[in-house]
Amino acid sequence: MATTRKHRYTSTQSIIKWLSTFAGIVIALAVLLPVIWMVFTAFKPESDIVSYPPTLWPRELTFEHFGAVWDRIPFARLYVNTIIFAGTVTVVSLLFDSMAAYALARLEFRGRSLVLILILILLMLPFQVTLIPLYDLLNSAGLTNTLPGLIIPRITNAFGIFFLRQFFLSLPKDLEEAARVDGASEWRIYSRIIMPLAKPALLTLGLFHFQYNWNDLLWPLIMSADVSSATLPAGLALFMGQHVVEYGLLMAGSLLSLLPVVAFFLIIQRSFVAGIATTGLK
Amino acid sequence: MTTLQGAPRRRVSRKAVTAWLFLAPSLLVLVAFTLYPMIQAGYLSLTDYNLIRAAEWVGLDNYVELFADPAFWNAFWNTVLYAAVVTPVTVVLALMLAVFLDRQFVGRAFVRTSIFLPFIVSLGIIAIAWTFLLDPNIGLLSYWLSQAGFVAEQGILSDPRWAMPAVMFVGVWKNVGFYMVIYLAGLQSIPEELREAARLDGANAWQRFRNVTLPLLSNQTMLVSVMALIATLQAFDQIYVMTHGGPFFRTETLVMLIYRQGFQELRFGYGAAISWVLLIFVLLFSMIQYLFFQRRQVKY
Amino acid sequence: MKRHHSVRRSRRSVFIAGAAVTATLALVLSGCTGGGAPSGGANDPDAKVTLDFWNGFTGPDGPALQKVVDDFNASQDRVTVKTNIMPWDTLYQKVLTAAAGNSGPDIVAMSASRLPQYIDEGLYQPLDDYYENADFESEALATAAVDASMYDGQNYGVPVNIATMLMYYNKDLFTAAGLDPEKPPTTWDEFADMVPKLTVDENGDGKPEQYAIALADHETVPMYQPFLWNAGGGIVSADGKTSELGSEGSLEALNFWVDLVREQKASPVGLAGADADKLFTTGKAAIEIVGPWMTSGFNDAGLNFGLAPAFAGPTDQITLADVVSMSIPASADETTKQAAYEFFAYWNSTDGQKTWAEGSGFPPTRSDVSSDITGNPYPAMFGAPDVIDNSQVLLAGIAAGGTITTTIFEPALQKALNGEGTVDELFTEASKQVQAELDK
Repeated sequence: MATTRKHRYTSTQSIIKWLSTFAGIVIALAVLLPVIWMVFTAFKPESDIVSYPPTLWPRELTFEHFGAVWDRIPFARLYVNTIIFAGTVTVVSLLFDSMAAYALARLEFRGRSLVLILILILLMLPFQVTLIPLYDLLNSAGLTNTLPGLIIPRITNAFGIFFLRQFFLSLPKDLEEAARVDGASEWRIYSRIIMPLAKPALLTLGLFHFQYNWNDLLWPLIMSADVSSATLPAGLALFMGQHVVEYGLLMAGSLLSLLPVVAFFLIIQRSFVAGIATTGLK
Repeated sequence: MTTLQGAPRRRVSRKAVTAWLFLAPSLLVLVAFTLYPMIQAGYLSLTDYNLIRAAEWVGLDNYVELFADPAFWNAFWNTVLYAAVVTPVTVVLALMLAVFLDRQFVGRAFVRTSIFLPFIVSLGIIAIAWTFLLDPNIGLLSYWLSQAGFVAEQGILSDPRWAMPAVMFVGVWKNVGFYMVIYLAGLQSIPEELREAARLDGANAWQRFRNVTLPLLSNQTMLVSVMALIATLQAFDQIYVMTHGGPFFRTETLVMLIYRQGFQELRFGYGAAISWVLLIFVLLFSMIQYLFFQRRQVKY
Repeated sequence: MKRHHSVRRSRRSVFIAGAAVTATLALVLSGCTGGGAPSGGANDPDAKVTLDFWNGFTGPDGPALQKVVDDFNASQDRVTVKTNIMPWDTLYQKVLTAAAGNSGPDIVAMSASRLPQYIDEGLYQPLDDYYENADFESEALATAAVDASMYDGQNYGVPVNIATMLMYYNKDLFTAAGLDPEKPPTTWDEFADMVPKLTVDENGDGKPEQYAIALADHETVPMYQPFLWNAGGGIVSADGKTSELGSEGSLEALNFWVDLVREQKASPVGLAGADADKLFTTGKAAIEIVGPWMTSGFNDAGLNFGLAPAFAGPTDQITLADVVSMSIPASADETTKQAAYEFFAYWNSTDGQKTWAEGSGFPPTRSDVSSDITGNPYPAMFGAPDVIDNSQVLLAGIAAGGTITTTIFEPALQKALNGEGTVDELFTEASKQVQAELDK
């Protein structure tokens, strides 16, 4: 009978749904294990961290590390530096990357393949390869230990260009074609039609750039005169002594440092997924 | 406009000018701060350079030396192994997780966020967490495993058989969330009608997946595979923190070797030569991969 | 070579020309980088000088160092020292990039094991005139600390810090094993006899719950190398020209210890320095031979531990010393140098060392201060004459020192401990590699 079949179908479906929930929670906890450890460690007194048998849950709860972090390193200043660095790089990068991606995806011109190949090559370059020559270059230009010197080499990114190009290629051409026929300039098409459609991709890429630069240790450290003019990862590295690692301080500092990135993700998460669903991305 | 002979004269169209203008800011920065240093690194690879004294020309000596250097080949094969395992595992796992999360169930958003979270934490710090967890004597993971009956005599990270799988695991763990999100976006953009149509035609879940879903995800697969491959060939942070290339160089990849030669042995010229070999290698493989997918690209 | 013509030649040749121009530019520019000849010049005794002091004393040592610096700055107003503390790894990188640039440090602290390499590359200038100036009281300094920065007959550094290793032993674990907690082992053989009692595998699963000793074999202060010294061997000869890794004494020591660790499970295999520390902290190892920095951690963990000089080998009882020295870049001028000397002298004065030792727990660099240190009992123990005078730095003055340790000794040791070859084979081979490095 139709209703029984439907009942069976629905209850199989709900079993699957609850199994999914269960499996999902297990997977999530397993994936989160180091992060969970990090959170609990930040609340343990140092002597509790290195102990046997090891426990996840603190035997004793303390907030001392969260306070001490602000005293031991110029945490507030580093926070500001990092926000400026990661924030500026992200915003400018989204603009420049999308412009270049638009040209590569939608405009015909001689040399297009060459530029694309160049972008791909630069994409594959490991950072360690260019670190020293780049430093030498900025040094001769007097840009080391300065904020512009820190930011400018990062304000565009081969990965961002590639990522957005792929995304733009998948957008339907109808709206643009119509606009072009109507005589709209490329800039108008780019800013009024393409960019709004690209919101999900821009948010994803923005998060990528933000977290990459937020967590970058080597570049800001090399480019700053001292730790207080560098970024958060540099400050946190000071808790790693040569012989003794101060785990409590390190984890507390890392948690505090993680908050903006997580916040960013949570904010864009909803609009990002919704955006994809309603966009003309077919 | 044509010349007297009738051949069309090359002329820079307005469209081309517009295109170059769009490209200009990025291109300028890239050329100045990435391309130029890259070429400079190429020049350095032909020298003996320790950063303190001026570079001394040695021609192709560095390249000759590296092809005969067992440390290079060790790092080369480690890199190949790492890339060959981590890339497909990450991509396939990302796809599987995306499919799993594509349906509605209670707690879906929580699971999605959790899997994505490793991507945004600092790899250096979280690698310290992993190292602590894997400590053979006081690490939680080791403790739980030993309670379950798996007793490891020696730490995973200092065991020559398990050090590489451990860093590979962390490599997958870190990035799978990001690729999963890309696949999720792709899945959600597949029109439901197509899947319905296939179901009505009698296709089962696997057939639907293979013949409808997967091909429509080609763009995403290409993007994710290229990104994953490049990321694996450049893996550094977690290896540096967790094993430092050990035990006895079993986890030393080419990037680790470049770092070691440059910053520990102070041989930047040699390090630059190795980086150029790596670059060409990455180029070759990414190109092959890119062309492979280019043919299968879904056009709209 | 035949030139291949192609249809797209015009575009290609532009690209090639562009590359050539950039390459030439690179050539020209790189000639401008690097190299800093000593600027010399006269000393201006009235000039106010600010010194940029780079060091790696992160963690809890940082505040202790800062206290001494603050005291120095307050004690006079001509010279001001500004500390720039960063992780050691970063320091070693930045010092290089700074050498290529102009805004480098005025004083750099470096581990004695890394120093020779940088001296060899021309980064630092000799400081022999510091030692010749009687005002600076350099004869009071420990010999091992002063000799650590010698290279090619000249001295390039002044000690910041000397850390000797002592044997920490867990008295409770000794008692539980039926051993006298006040009688730690004094020789290798005594220790070997204790191993069956101190390494405990109650549930018989092959993995001891407790080990006799925690010996780290990588990323650590050297724990195995002093054993070679104490059997009449070593890694490199005193004059730095011959490898001793394959000598009788070395092989005897290595065979003894590898057997003890592998066969009798005296210690786990594959420990990094930090792992060994954790093992002792959690009471899972009865002994650890390590420096003074662990005292607070062990105390906080509530351990009942004792300290004694590490057990003697067949021929000697030499302790490992880990020395950090301060050096001055070759490009610094005379005024900077003399100002730095004033700081060095204060740092190593009785006042300076008292503050440093009490704050950090490290022994003072001079033996005449130990008795004055009341706030902290450990500097006196680690700085006891029979310890400090019998201490030695590993591979001091050998430019290839770091390479030898990390790329030859440690891998060979790890292979031996993992059973991938016999000690004699592995280390005879390693000895040849060491000789090759020395000959370079």
